[in-house]
Amino acid sequence: MNDYRYIGKDFVPPDIVGKVTGKAKYAEDFRADGMVFARVYTSPMAHGRVTRIDSSAAAEMDGVIGILTADDLPPVEAPNAPMLTNTPVYVGEPILAVAAIDEKAAEDAIARIRVHIEPLPFAVDPLDSLVEGGPDAREEGNVYVRSREGSGFRSVKWTREQIDEFRAGKEPTGESVDEWSYGDLERGFADATVIIEEPFVTNGYAHMSMEPRTSMAYWENGTCFVYGSAQSQSFMIPGLASMLNVEQKNVILVSEHTGGGFGSKIAAYPMMALPAWFSKKLGRPVQLRITREQEYYVGSARVGFQGWIKVGFAADGRVTATDLFIVEDLGPNATGGDGSSAGDAVSIVYDPESMRYRGVPVLTNTTPRGAQRGPGQNQIAAIMAPIMDKAARELNIDRLEIRKVNAAHNATTVEADQGPITSAYMKEALDMGAKMFNWEAKRDQPRRNGNKVIGVGIGQGYHSAGSDGFDGLVRITPDGKIHLHSGVGNLGTYSYASTTRSAAEVLKCDWNNCVIERGSTAAHLPWSSYQAGSNTTFTHSRANFVAATDAVNKMKEIAATTLGGAVTDYDVADERVFRIGSPTQYMTYAAVAQRAIELGGAYSGQTWPDDIHEITQRAVQNIAGTGLIGVGKDTLRLEGVVPGLAVAFAEIQLDLETGKYDILDYVGIAECGTVVHPQGLAAQMKGGAVWGMGMASLERHVYDPQNGLPANIGYHQCGIPTYLDTPSEIRTGAVDLPDPQSPFGARGIGEPAMGCSVAAMTAAIADALDGHIFSRTPISADMIVNHVNGRPQSFKPLQINNF
Amino acid sequence: MDVATYKEDIWGREVILGASWDLLWLVVVSAFVVIALHAVILAVRRRAARPSSAGPRVPRHSAVDRIFHWIMAVTVIVLLITGVFPIIGLEFSWLTIHWIAGLVLTASVVFHIVRSLFWQDLKAMWISARDLKEPFDATLKPGKYSVAQKSMHAAVTVLVLLVIGSGLVMFAMIDTPWWERSNSIAESTLGWVFLIHGLSTLALIALIALHIYFGLRPEKLFYTRSMIKGWISKEELEANHDPERWAPGKSS
Amino acid sequence: MASHDVMPDIELYQPVELSDALDLLERYGDDGWLLGGGQDTYGWLKDRAKHPKAMIDLNGIDSLHGIRELADGLEIGAVTTLVEMIGDPVINRDFGLLSQAAGRVASPQIRNVATLGGNLVQDTRCWYYRRGLSCYRAGGNLCYADSPQGMNREHALFGASRCVAVSPSDTAIALVALEATMVAASLDGERLIPAEKFFAGPDTHITRMTSLDPGEILTAVRVPSKWAGQRFYFEKVADRNVWDFALVSIAAAMAVQGNVINDARFVCGGVACKPHRLRKVERAAVGMTLSEESADTLALLASEGAKPLTYNQFKLPLMENLVRRAVRG
Repeated sequence: MNDYRYIGKDFVPPDIVGKVTGKAKYAEDFRADGMVFARVYTSPMAHGRVTRIDSSAAAEMDGVIGILTADDLPPVEAPNAPMLTNTPVYVGEPILAVAAIDEKAAEDAIARIRVHIEPLPFAVDPLDSLVEGGPDAREEGNVYVRSREGSGFRSVKWTREQIDEFRAGKEPTGESVDEWSYGDLERGFADATVIIEEPFVTNGYAHMSMEPRTSMAYWENGTCFVYGSAQSQSFMIPGLASMLNVEQKNVILVSEHTGGGFGSKIAAYPMMALPAWFSKKLGRPVQLRITREQEYYVGSARVGFQGWIKVGFAADGRVTATDLFIVEDLGPNATGGDGSSAGDAVSIVYDPESMRYRGVPVLTNTTPRGAQRGPGQNQIAAIMAPIMDKAARELNIDRLEIRKVNAAHNATTVEADQGPITSAYMKEALDMGAKMFNWEAKRDQPRRNGNKVIGVGIGQGYHSAGSDGFDGLVRITPDGKIHLHSGVGNLGTYSYASTTRSAAEVLKCDWNNCVIERGSTAAHLPWSSYQAGSNTTFTHSRANFVAATDAVNKMKEIAATTLGGAVTDYDVADERVFRIGSPTQYMTYAAVAQRAIELGGAYSGQTWPDDIHEITQRAVQNIAGTGLIGVGKDTLRLEGVVPGLAVAFAEIQLDLETGKYDILDYVGIAECGTVVHPQGLAAQMKGGAVWGMGMASLERHVYDPQNGLPANIGYHQCGIPTYLDTPSEIRTGAVDLPDPQSPFGARGIGEPAMGCSVAAMTAAIADALDGHIFSRTPISADMIVNHVNGRPQSFKPLQINNF
Repeated sequence: MDVATYKEDIWGREVILGASWDLLWLVVVSAFVVIALHAVILAVRRRAARPSSAGPRVPRHSAVDRIFHWIMAVTVIVLLITGVFPIIGLEFSWLTIHWIAGLVLTASVVFHIVRSLFWQDLKAMWISARDLKEPFDATLKPGKYSVAQKSMHAAVTVLVLLVIGSGLVMFAMIDTPWWERSNSIAESTLGWVFLIHGLSTLALIALIALHIYFGLRPEKLFYTRSMIKGWISKEELEANHDPERWAPGKSS
Repeated sequence: MASHDVMPDIELYQPVELSDALDLLERYGDDGWLLGGGQDTYGWLKDRAKHPKAMIDLNGIDSLHGIRELADGLEIGAVTTLVEMIGDPVINRDFGLLSQAAGRVASPQIRNVATLGGNLVQDTRCWYYRRGLSCYRAGGNLCYADSPQGMNREHALFGASRCVAVSPSDTAIALVALEATMVAASLDGERLIPAEKFFAGPDTHITRMTSLDPGEILTAVRVPSKWAGQRFYFEKVADRNVWDFALVSIAAAMAVQGNVINDARFVCGGVACKPHRLRKVERAAVGMTLSEESADTLALLASEGAKPLTYNQFKLPLMENLVRRAVRG
């Protein structure tokens, strides 16, 4: 255990009371004078071209204020998502919006709108588009290639034989557009004692934000005020400004609380900007609250995979080679990129001696995709875990042991360029989990009891968990208050607050004296990273450390100037700057703040470092002269990938007669460096566990391929796990070994917390079924029943977006 | 009153759903009015002496034709009951009976067509220019069939072929012991199929009402008897037909 | 495509006498909508997939509430909540099958307000139909679920006739097993309908799930004492353990003497548009001893006559296994 004041200690984040009492305001709770309510009309077709809009009946209705169509908005270049479109590429894509005096009037008006749409060919399964003669999801093509050499649409087709062979489980021979490799793959397989080859499918599914995205906007003197639902805060501004065609300084985003984003509200999105354009047209504040159903259309979804993997293992279990091919179900807007991330994850978690990744991101006329917790990493975790177990069985190695043999450690080199990582203690995590779970006893317990059979599984999760280059900002005011400015955004993980504790740690101040400034970009927030990618804890522990260190240095300088002596003679404690060895010579923080204002210059924000972002510069300008300003850009050393790692152990009891299983025990271990906020970490590990359980057995997109129609447009059809689908207790732990490149040793954990869970579940299911690998998520009860009864599965091989 | 009803297809576009069943009441009422008017007019007119059924008999309908007629009659009635009653609120398990009756009707119609094409005098049912003068000239007597009978036959032929044709297409929508439904007809096409099936059914209801009415009229009852027993009397023949044009016994 | 989640304008009537409710129903005809717990209602109305003009709230009618002992069994008022049934000592003592079934409906929150009548008359969950599409059940002329590429994992094995939707009610199978009688009131008086006849398949009633006639209100359910205290088995297999509809469920009642089955009722849910009685199993069960061999023999009879669709063949072994478990107890 460390002896930090705040790092590693629980605390009550300031927004908790509002959430518990209901006083917390979400985007839809805000009102403005003269505000009107908007609703959107969306495409009933998976792909089409609007030929005529008849809105006359709606326009004449009482209470209708105005109508906005794509023609009122600046054109957006494909594949970027427009706010409104005349060429919808998925069911539910917004075509027009109506504003009225209340929501019911807006809904009544929407029901009177008639839009004529000419249908165009569509595809909801990538392989249906990839096959020669198959439909392209967009008129521009069926693949969007992103590369440094130039990005653009292409039409990629495989022969029918190539598709059939892929479906039959053979190595795909069709064209890929993304490829990387390292090591000698051929030799890797030649050296292997066991080679396992599996085709696989992971279905995409909704992000399922509890708060359907709402946005309210109005304009004042050329500045647009947006009240939105967002994961991030400062990070939203550049994108939002771009969508609104204004400078960044002319956008204010208020987002105090967010009812879930899960990757779907990372950056500015079209439905956030739409009310602002509508408001501009109408000259009144406009609120757009989309329906729950529409959240499933526009609210983003996980990328689906149809893939093939071949893994070679040496006799000792070491992975000698991995060959991975992924056809990505990318939705219509080419958002995602999970495939290559899955490859990266394999290179880290299983550390193959040689590896090749090939991918084809195929566009489909399904809900637009976006990063969802562990995008790519978690899909491949679910597929890899049973493969590791199969190899262990064939090599007669313990399943824990084969993971330890390949476990990432400080010297592991990763990804295509085989670069370094900042630190990794996967083996320690596995050992800790095995001990908590009592692995050997559970593994060796009697397995079969009537129709019930026990299965145990181990899962490993990974996501890169931190970056650098963002800014920190702290301010000490003459009243003695310490203002910690957090531009991170409040996704609900409390990391916006817990990362400010690293500033408090440096300032050695009383937490009760700290005020977290947040919730509105008008609250003088620094340029911060997105609140996503398991990134905040590492990145903003550093940024806040930098700002607080700047503040401490400035206070020491002021003390030295005021009380005499050298800067190095001073230190801080108990909200005082004191002379080392002479504790009676000190200034309180309040006094230093007052003095900073008098001195001006950098001390009170009259000047600022050149390298900080323009958003931070404006924040500093706005608070200049109000106290002592600590500000800086994180330029601390960062060499290598920052890994967030987690492992999970699961024990299930599977009923062979119903295909259902109970999760008897679950242990999740975080390997995220020093623990910053134990309760927050436990919540992340538990939430991730539940999410992984949902992915393993319940959640999936279902599309009617004949009509391009999604079945999942409500909570029920989407199958999120309920309280009774999860174990009564989810046990968690953390390795808690510091990362050397983080001032307090902390790395992020959000995404691996889920990846390890889904992997442990798929492994446990395979274990219960004598090693049968479905190579698919979700593994639903019907699939298990079919398997146990020797029936073929109802879907065709590699089919996706199906029951 | 609309002829067709409409619905939104899976993509929200307006397509035909089928015939408007409000027309049923129009058809029923119209048929009733026509029949009532006809009955009243004939009741007011002086009645001609009715020829006797006694005496020598001549054959009118062969056993095969009679069997065909009554199979058709029964199946059509069954089809109408099973098809229409559920629509007007008398719910029962109708579909299986309906499609089996439909198949029986189809088979018997096919049999009849083949038989009439190759083994019967097709011209006996042909409506000639002379036939059209028949109603206006009391001196003109028909051959085997009056122009009214021929017209009825022609109309029933067209409607039954339409109803059978559209009905057979609908087999794509249901399961039978020999056929798994494909359910793959485009929604807009399907609407036309239902519309044709419905409208031809409605027209058949009117025609059949008239047919039954005429079949039961006292002066025409001998035709009905002939459809049961096969013969008419010589007297009935002479009173109603031109022996030059129809000489039963010499030909069928 | 419009999407809705705000309640439309609708008249709300809250009668306190059954006769007033019947008058209102008569007056509004197809435009009247009976309201129990509202757990099926509000979705339909907010989605604007159904467009009644008036809601007739039955919860204020005292005579429709409560559980009463009769000379022969029990009478349960139609707006008695599921949670009241679950906690009722007499139901638990005599008809544990029913309280178990009620206890597996939806979620605790829903069971607090959902009524027995509402649970019995609720509409099917076919996702195409629920979407508001104009399928057979909605008065259209085709079935989207049983089309060549239809997604029909949750659909019917038995009794499909054009429409392949299934009955979602958990309490329905228990009541059919218990040979309950439904009491239906109309302005013409009262009609008693055996539970089995109460539920209607698409062959006869393709646009509704029950044989209630227009103008009729389900007022109560009578459970005879015939099966009181017998051997019961209820199980519902759903994707989720709470707040979900059955993939397949079973309600079984067996009169067992010694170890011999003297009489039996086996009813499955989730496999047909109405509770599906396993008559062959029932007939074969009589005279059998309770044993694993009997369970295996009877299980094989369960799915006879099933016509699986593209994605629901797993229901066959699942049905068989549930029969096996019901016999095992």
